[in-house]
Amino acid sequence: MAITTQRSTDGRTLTINIDGRFDFSSHQAFREAYETGENAVAEYLVDMRDTTYLDSSALGMLLLLRDYAGGDSARIRILNCNGDVRRILAISNFEQLFDIH
Amino acid sequence: MNEHTHLDDEALAELREVMDDDFSILISTFIDDSAERVSTLKKRFDAADAEAFSKAAHSFKGSCINIGAPRLGDLCLEAEQMGRSGDLTGAEDLLASIEQEFETVKTLLQPYLASA
Amino acid sequence: MLSAIPPGSAVASGSDTLKILIADDSDSDRLILQAMLRKQGHEVVTAVDGMDAVERFRAERPQIVLLDALMPRMDGREAARRIKALAGEALVPIIFLTSLSDAEELADCLAAGGDDFLSKPYNRIIIEAKINAFNRMRMMHATVQAQRDHIRERNEQLLLEQKTARRVFENVAHRGCLEAGNIRYLMSPLSIFNGDVLFACPKPSGGMHIFLGDFTGHGLPAAIGAMPLAEIFYGMTSKGFPIADVLREINQKLKRILPTGMFCCGAMIDMNLQLQEVEVWNGGLPAGYLIRTDGSRVRLVSDHLPLGVLPAERFSPECVRYTLLRDERVLFCSDGILEATNGNEEMFGEARLLEVLDNCDSPDKVFDELTLAVRRFTGSVESRDDISLVEVAMVPEKMLDVHQSVISTGLTGPSDWRCAYELRDETLSTFNPLPLLLHICMEAPGLRLCSGQIYTILAEMFSNALEHGILRLSSTLKGSASGFSRYYEERERRLKQVGNHFIRFELEHISQENGGRLLIACEDSGPGFDYTHQEECPQASAPYGGRGIMLLRQLCDSVVYCGSGNRIEAAFEWSFQQRSMGKH
Repeated sequence: MAITTQRSTDGRTLTINIDGRFDFSSHQAFREAYETGENAVAEYLVDMRDTTYLDSSALGMLLLLRDYAGGDSARIRILNCNGDVRRILAISNFEQLFDIH
Repeated sequence: MNEHTHLDDEALAELREVMDDDFSILISTFIDDSAERVSTLKKRFDAADAEAFSKAAHSFKGSCINIGAPRLGDLCLEAEQMGRSGDLTGAEDLLASIEQEFETVKTLLQPYLASA
Repeated sequence: MLSAIPPGSAVASGSDTLKILIADDSDSDRLILQAMLRKQGHEVVTAVDGMDAVERFRAERPQIVLLDALMPRMDGREAARRIKALAGEALVPIIFLTSLSDAEELADCLAAGGDDFLSKPYNRIIIEAKINAFNRMRMMHATVQAQRDHIRERNEQLLLEQKTARRVFENVAHRGCLEAGNIRYLMSPLSIFNGDVLFACPKPSGGMHIFLGDFTGHGLPAAIGAMPLAEIFYGMTSKGFPIADVLREINQKLKRILPTGMFCCGAMIDMNLQLQEVEVWNGGLPAGYLIRTDGSRVRLVSDHLPLGVLPAERFSPECVRYTLLRDERVLFCSDGILEATNGNEEMFGEARLLEVLDNCDSPDKVFDELTLAVRRFTGSVESRDDISLVEVAMVPEKMLDVHQSVISTGLTGPSDWRCAYELRDETLSTFNPLPLLLHICMEAPGLRLCSGQIYTILAEMFSNALEHGILRLSSTLKGSASGFSRYYEERERRLKQVGNHFIRFELEHISQENGGRLLIACEDSGPGFDYTHQEECPQASAPYGGRGIMLLRQLCDSVVYCGSGNRIEAAFEWSFQQRSMGKH
């Protein structure tokens, strides 16, 4: 499991890549990825291209990110979900809270 | 027969520093102790108990080395080895040497006793 | 409550002043070593031979021991062995004082428990270095041991706390009516600590609510969330609240008490055994299945966010309603089954679950075949603890004996009373008066024995007044499967437009010898209907559902229509001896 981030050149978009299993062990790293300590970021992209698995604590972490990013006004897109990841997000009906692609 | 000196002055100087006021007590303790060890060695020899002879010599050797009497320590080592070999032939001469060296050391230590 | 390692334990005594035992039969050697160690600030205890050394060690408990190898009475090796034995778990470094030069004898000393050597003549600097090195080792050992003891102690305490927590939890979140004949389930005994919960509770109207949940996280946090959930579930269900109210309350409570990121995936089932209907709500659990006797099945997908995520105003307790014939069943599992792995790290998955359902020729075998398939799949792999599975079958109510035994207690309370309760306008569509009305009736001493019957009477009267009297829905719609859902869609639609209407209940209780008589009247603001031919042909043309009126007649001693047919009056007589359902 590795979490990496990139900022767009204007600094407004933060992309978080999650490589491998996204579960409780990623808790600290995931938080550090988005808690940048500044509020220039307007949009968050969570790239799941390399995410192999997602458990319910990962769902909880996504909710924490949503809270951090402003709750109902948060702009968060979850990108490149594979079948398993998409299934788990769908069971929990997270498309009601996130923009899932 | 032995290139070591009777007394190691450097060692004694260090001991004096370590012991402070108790230095003279240490010297007199060594002298009393050693007198007893010499007589113990004699008794073991008379009893022809080579192993006990060797052990007594070993202990004596240790305190000689510590106090700074290297030549006496060397003689004790010889006695220890002789005892360990189980053959006490010639030990009589060695005992005499030890006794004589002890007397020398004792004489040489007299000033240290007074100086305390 | 985590506490730091207590002060004054072995770790704290690792100051630079040590108590050191010197054992040497040579007085002068002992004097020298003693002087050197004292100069370095240590406290020195001396012994003149091995036996003396062991005694001094026992009495003084020094932290480091310096032993001459050759001593009278007991030599250094034997003394070392005894001292190590006395020291037990504590690390007491033993350094041999020696002028031994023979390798074999040196090895002998080590075998006896010696940690190092110090050769004569003594050198202050070497002695200091060795003492310091061994003191560091000793302190490290003591620290590790203190931590180990601390962890062990904490762990024992934690296990004890878990045990207590589990007992408390089991009292609150008891399994309810899970042992009812129509429910089968599989739950690990430690399930509360993996966040899975399963509750079942009989409804006063008959039938039951079942809840299967899976909290995010493990351990105590998950169990803590389960407690209020259980309280709400059992409390509200047994008071007669409908499934939507229970779900709404659970969601609101969990949203309030759980930190963001913690929530409960769950499914709730409302079994209505009289009407042979089931309502299902699924928020975040893997799809459940409705398994029909004709071999078909319905997938009960999660169409809501989990409980505790959305604020109350955005939460939807909307359920899907199905008819369920006798022996048909509803099956739900938490993700433990789908994620059960075999030796090759493959997951059981939904495809295998469907395969089991496909190959099963009878609904009553599904549970066994599914559990068997999962066990076979995981094979030698240690069976996972977090497999939670529940199956509820539709059976005639009389086959079950789930209703709580009621003790006729002190018999105080209002036994002769009368009250009227009227609901008006929008309240009709937003408020369910049944729990309140039932509560009022239950205050009459002894009447609690009949809570099921009374709830059913109230519920039938209320829904008939609302659905037929006011909303003018025709029960003939409910005759077919498609009409059935159309009926409820229509009900929702009309309910939103209801205005200028009322439903009034009048309740009166009169005590009688060994029991009482409860009179219930229900009147609505609708136009009524022609009830004059009702008696001859109860099923025809009456706006009352055929099943509804039959049920009322079965439960009550008399049922009459009044006015323009917009008022119904029922009398219910009861006695302490007569507790069973059905009177005629």
